Amino acid sequence: MEIIKTSDLTKNYTLGKVDVKALNGVDSSIEEGEFIAIMGPSGCGKSTFLNMIGMLDTPSSGEIYIDGRDVTEMNSSAMAEYRLKHIGFIFQFFNLFNELTAIENVMFPMMLNKQPNYKERAKELLDLVGLGDRLHHLPSELSGGQQQRVTIARSLANSPKILLADEPTGNLDTRSSVEIIELFRKLNLEQGQTIVMVTHSMEIGEKADRIIHFRDGKVMEG
Amino acid sequence: MSGVFFYARKDAENNKRMFIFITIAIALSTANIIILNGVMDGITDDFLDRTMETTSGHLNIYPNEKDRYIEGLGIKEQKLQGIEGVIAYSPRITAGGALSYKEKSRSVNIFALDPSKENRVTVLLSKIDSGETLKANDRDGILISYRLAEELNAKAGDETTIVFEKGNTRVFKVRGILRTGMAMDTNTVIINFETAAEQLNLNNKASIILIRLSDKALSGQYKDIVSGKLGMQKVKEWKEEVESMWSTIRTYKEIIATINAIGLFAAAVSVGVILYINIIHKQRQIGIMKAIGMKDFQILSVYIIEAAVLGTIGILMGDALGYMGIKYLQAHPFSDPTLGSIAPRLYSYLFYDASLVTMLIVILAAVYPALMAGRMNIIKAIWGN
Ligand SMILES: Nc1ncnc2c1ncn2[C@@H]1O[C@H](COP(=O)(O)OP(=O)(O)OP(=O)(O)O)[C@@H](O)[C@H]1O
Ligand SMILES: [Mg+2]
Repeated sequence: MEIIKTSDLTKNYTLGKVDVKALNGVDSSIEEGEFIAIMGPSGCGKSTFLNMIGMLDTPSSGEIYIDGRDVTEMNSSAMAEYRLKHIGFIFQFFNLFNELTAIENVMFPMMLNKQPNYKERAKELLDLVGLGDRLHHLPSELSGGQQQRVTIARSLANSPKILLADEPTGNLDTRSSVEIIELFRKLNLEQGQTIVMVTHSMEIGEKADRIIHFRDGKVMEG
Repeated sequence: MSGVFFYARKDAENNKRMFIFITIAIALSTANIIILNGVMDGITDDFLDRTMETTSGHLNIYPNEKDRYIEGLGIKEQKLQGIEGVIAYSPRITAGGALSYKEKSRSVNIFALDPSKENRVTVLLSKIDSGETLKANDRDGILISYRLAEELNAKAGDETTIVFEKGNTRVFKVRGILRTGMAMDTNTVIINFETAAEQLNLNNKASIILIRLSDKALSGQYKDIVSGKLGMQKVKEWKEEVESMWSTIRTYKEIIATINAIGLFAAAVSVGVILYINIIHKQRQIGIMKAIGMKDFQILSVYIIEAAVLGTIGILMGDALGYMGIKYLQAHPFSDPTLGSIAPRLYSYLFYDASLVTMLIVILAAVYPALMAGRMNIIKAIWGN
């Protein structure tokens, strides 16, 4: 079943007097349970695309269907609600709340979603990402790879259908990167999460089910 | 909402130092309001009380229009005796004149009264700085106000001369020096009613009759009764007598309000600026909050809640500080040469008002930064501009 579908998606930015076409008619289709890597040169619109399907930003034109719903029709509050319940985000950095410990970071989205037993579940999730012994550490007391794993645990808090990761390993060494990708694969296999991940590394991209290549704001055919 | 409270608490805990500063600003502003207004209330209450208890009855009868004096005093006194609720009355004659001692001479206001009657209505005769007060039937004695005494260099026991309006002259012996803390301290003398009537050729007349009622709250009700029974048109309640002072008091209250407003403004600015800086500083985190699904309204609530909590703590501290300040000043009052000692009042309304106003201002000050946080664009917030 198709979980993400975009048709003729465009996003224009005006920088001074120059119009930038960050997305220039993106048609894409992602099946539920797919693990997708998005690749392409810098500035080709990968992040912009991810932000669109994650409802962090609104397109200039075109359609986005998530789980069969046209999300361009939603208001900002409905989008927030949808992100809370159905989408998990992992950025390259600055993901965590500095003043919250690992477990609190993971609890937070569950508290916002009025989920009971959030503490137990936060522990389970941190166990799952291999940080069961770092529950009460602040982000500043964790390594970059550990921080990304906390972020992944948090993104899973409300059992979202979709995980969106924008260069999640961009800041990590090879070993930590491999660990993260293995974790994604595990989540994908065991929990059926649909994962869309932007990466610059071919090595990592190859671990996905499928690579979508971007160039100049468009999906390259083939 | 639990997530919102949770984050608000964590954020506040992690910015303790900044927030302690905010709390202190709020506390000082609250205490400032309580203490300044308490002192102001102290001054006005004392001032009104003092004026009331020395210069006015609960009701005062004045001569009818066009008359200089109240006529038929004897009959009026009898009628007053017949009115239940009238506890006492004291007729006075007021007149101008000149007081001389040795070579010096000053124009004076003469108050002539019957001490035994006056003492049942006002405490004027107890306001003696030195010497003795005027006794009943003391026809030769005089009390002179302390500023007059200073100017003339006269003291208790000295002999002075009064020239009355009609030109009569009489010698009086200074019994005591009067000090009321009011304007009358400048140039007032007090003498016996009968003596003045004699010198001024007034028979059965008075300039004013002060009346004491069983309860001053009854003045409104008795005003018409007294006016009717005595056939006098001009009967004033004590409230009307002090009305003229209210404009002065209002001016002072406005000054106090300005000072309070400055304090409140400082508190509001510190709350607003510190929250603003904190929010700018945390842009990325706010972006992430939105990305993980926090709604604009919830983010706004985080900062409003923080402000409300800081406000509450600051206000409670301010209330405590205000209470201690007032207690301290009551134990160590200011002294003023004319008003005597000035001690603040501890009225509970001050605490309610100060707390409420401060809370309102604090919340208002938080609204702008909180709105800004709520409306932040996610992408810009996370990645900067
Ligand atoms: N907020 C913005 N304002 C103006 N232009 C923008 C904005 N965001 C992105 N762009 C432009 O849109 C284009 C696509 O940007 P995007 O961030 O999607 O690229 P990307 O493929 O993620 O690149 P990278 O691999 O470097 O992260 C770029 O030319 C960029 O300069
Ligand atoms: Mg990018």
